[in-house]
Amino acid sequence: MTERLFSLSLSRRRLLITSSAVATGALVAMAGFTPAHSAGEPNGGDITFLIDSLGDSWIPNNSAISSFQGHIWGHVTDKLVYVDAAGKVSPWIAERWEQNDSATEFTLHLKSGVTFSDGTPLDASAAVANLDIWYAGRKKEGINPIGLFPKTYDHAEAVDATTVKIFFKKPTLGFIPTLGYHGSILISPKTIAQPAAQQADLSKTSGSGPYVVDSWKEGDFVKLVKRKDYNWGPAAVGHTGPAYLDTITYKLVSEPSLRVAAVQSGQADVAYNASPQELTSLKQEGFTVATPRYLGFVNGWAINTKLAPYDDVKVRQALQAGVNRQEIIDTVYTPDWKLATSFIQSNVPGATDHSELLAYNPDRAEKLLDEAGWKKGADGIRAKDGKQLSLTLNSNPYLVTSRSIDELIAQQLGKIGWKVDIRAYDVVTYGQKVQYGGAGVPAYEVTRSFIDAGTVASILTNANNGENWFALGESDQKINELRDKIASAGSLEARNPLLDELQKYVLEEGYFIPRTQMVQRIYVQSPKLKGETYNGVAYASYYTATISD
Amino acid sequence: MNNAYLSYATKRLVQAAIVILLAYVFTFIVVSVLPGDPVTNVLRNPQNGFSEAEIQEIIAAQGLDKPVFMQLSTSLSHFLIGDLGLSMRTNRSVTTMIAEVLPSTLVLAFAGLVVALILAIVIAYGTQFLPKRFGQGLLRGFPSLFLSVPNFVIGLVLIHIFGFQLGLFRVINPDSFWATFFAAVALGIPISAQIAEVLIANLDHESGQEYAAVARSRGLGQLQLFARHLLKPSSLPVITVVALTIGELLGGSLITEAVFGRTGIGSLVQRSVSTQDLPVLQAVVSLAAVVFVLVNLIADLVYPLLDPRVKLLGSAARRPATSDEGSSDIPKSVLS
Repeated sequence: MTERLFSLSLSRRRLLITSSAVATGALVAMAGFTPAHSAGEPNGGDITFLIDSLGDSWIPNNSAISSFQGHIWGHVTDKLVYVDAAGKVSPWIAERWEQNDSATEFTLHLKSGVTFSDGTPLDASAAVANLDIWYAGRKKEGINPIGLFPKTYDHAEAVDATTVKIFFKKPTLGFIPTLGYHGSILISPKTIAQPAAQQADLSKTSGSGPYVVDSWKEGDFVKLVKRKDYNWGPAAVGHTGPAYLDTITYKLVSEPSLRVAAVQSGQADVAYNASPQELTSLKQEGFTVATPRYLGFVNGWAINTKLAPYDDVKVRQALQAGVNRQEIIDTVYTPDWKLATSFIQSNVPGATDHSELLAYNPDRAEKLLDEAGWKKGADGIRAKDGKQLSLTLNSNPYLVTSRSIDELIAQQLGKIGWKVDIRAYDVVTYGQKVQYGGAGVPAYEVTRSFIDAGTVASILTNANNGENWFALGESDQKINELRDKIASAGSLEARNPLLDELQKYVLEEGYFIPRTQMVQRIYVQSPKLKGETYNGVAYASYYTATISD
Repeated sequence: MNNAYLSYATKRLVQAAIVILLAYVFTFIVVSVLPGDPVTNVLRNPQNGFSEAEIQEIIAAQGLDKPVFMQLSTSLSHFLIGDLGLSMRTNRSVTTMIAEVLPSTLVLAFAGLVVALILAIVIAYGTQFLPKRFGQGLLRGFPSLFLSVPNFVIGLVLIHIFGFQLGLFRVINPDSFWATFFAAVALGIPISAQIAEVLIANLDHESGQEYAAVARSRGLGQLQLFARHLLKPSSLPVITVVALTIGELLGGSLITEAVFGRTGIGSLVQRSVSTQDLPVLQAVVSLAAVVFVLVNLIADLVYPLLDPRVKLLGSAARRPATSDEGSSDIPKSVLS
């Protein structure tokens, strides 16, 4: 380990001194040249990516659902389709696909000649093995299903070596985008057949990606080396051959200031999750700062409509109007963060702009509360029938800035007569005590990516094991009707107007109170490193990246 | 080795085994009564989208829905035959996981102890022989100063100066010599404080003894007097302090490892606690108990051999006591 990392620094120095080819390549790359089609391609180089955690298990099914391992799986494995930062779906291992009119049967046509790093071909039967384990897992052995995989899956069959047919019990319009998400990583059938304890050893896992695991140590580092015969990258990133960088080393440094300082002093190339407050000065120093958004819900609250006084639509609407979202961005974040325009992120296909419903309007909020019978007392806090107007916020432990936002909102709401209490729990206690619609939880903070806007409706209600975010049960006819129509829609043309209606309705009713669009991954990068891409879940891929000296 | 010593040693060994077993059971109970459980912690992350029914099914498959007592007896019976099991978090063998991180911690803890001893001896020497105008009194304040500065602050300052400013080591290569050296300094400084305190107090006592005066009158130099005559008798209680410090070396390594980006027992414990990874915690606590008990056992067994005045009180006293604390006997070495 010591020697390896030392040689990494040596080879970088050697690169600086001797490699004119790299210098040429870098010049070309800097001139905005697409590297895919030319002689004089940039080649070689090693980078170090400082990360705050390497997550827990490396069992592909269990680990891909946690955000941290997504970085490594993104380089070691491929997916059937590619989803870019705008949510656009394009071919990858599946070259093309068809579906029937009711979206219950799909046919995937796979690229031929693709292999896993253990030599096994990535053919139709390998795809079926993956689909089956994504859906069911092997729970008794400790291999989980993938949480976001459609529960409507019935079975899949290999028609021939490159054709897979997939059958669903119910219309599943979101199936194809699902294949591009971080859980749906293609793993060698040999790896899948291994017991959990073997799968948990990252070095024994074979994917078909542009990099393979060279060495790793749990909770310490993962070193990836490039696969020279790789030739099946997604066309959407403008390159299909082997990666340019020789190695990528992910190194865990838990202290955030050290990650940034190491990049500033040239000891590393990328620092992950810097504090938002540092970003402006880092940009001024010439570092590349990326704050990609992911596809999913915006950061906001799902309101418990069972709990008084939030069972009153006027109180919920007052809450919607009483939050100053611009001030959150100005105070807690930087201009890299975007205002919420709906309760789903604006880059999600099907998201529509409802900013007018989210405008800060304290006068309207006060008027609504007056109408609802909540009168301001001498202490500035509103009360009705001897009860104070209160809101308990449970700051989300998964998001570092959550507490600061809660404190800011407490001030904003305080001005219109709300008494806000803030509670902070650690991750374990939070998971235990704070749930959607929980007895003491008027507002559950959401930060969550999802597969496809079509799944949103069933999450919001209790249909199909849905999570029933607003504790509505079956009581709201309108939302149920929209949910059923969205779920059974066979095409995007039919679904999009329904989604628009759903967004408007949920925001108008004050069921969901958006705060800001979600940025959960922040990258501070050396200016020498260029050409990385960000996918639909905001993971950086260095497959197309080059480094100059 | 006489019979009294053997029976004393046997009793101490049995005590040690009981302590380890109790530590194991205690950890199990503490972790079990904490809210939440390790599997739920991961599964309930809202990004995963598992339904409540699925979470329950997975928990049942891992036997976590059984009564705590049954879980404990299964775990304990495996432990007694040396089977540490699989980590709930990583699904990897606990033995492998510990074997991966143990060397790094041992190196750090040993280096930290060496740094602490050297620092303590240098400071103690200074308090005895440094002329007053060169800050002899000031040196006596060092131990309290060392204890009051948190170890992570020392670590961060060292990294910024020697790592980032002077470029002596790289944070991405924490097992290199210089990185280990500075981590050991950060770890050793607070530990040296306690050792120095005890050493200074004993030196103050010993240098006032007749034999020291005799030695001085024979014209021995300060360094010779210190090294040949004063250090040994003053060091006996230091053995006890060092043995007690082992716990702090292990605990302090948690913070030092986090700051210096080292992967060791400390960082393993931290991750296991945050995910309530019971099998790993059990193994680490038991290991810590073994180390702690073993080091203290060695100290207790060595003590009577080093100092013949020590009485073997057997199980009546936890640690052998010097029969005559205020003895002003002149050590043979001075008279010879």
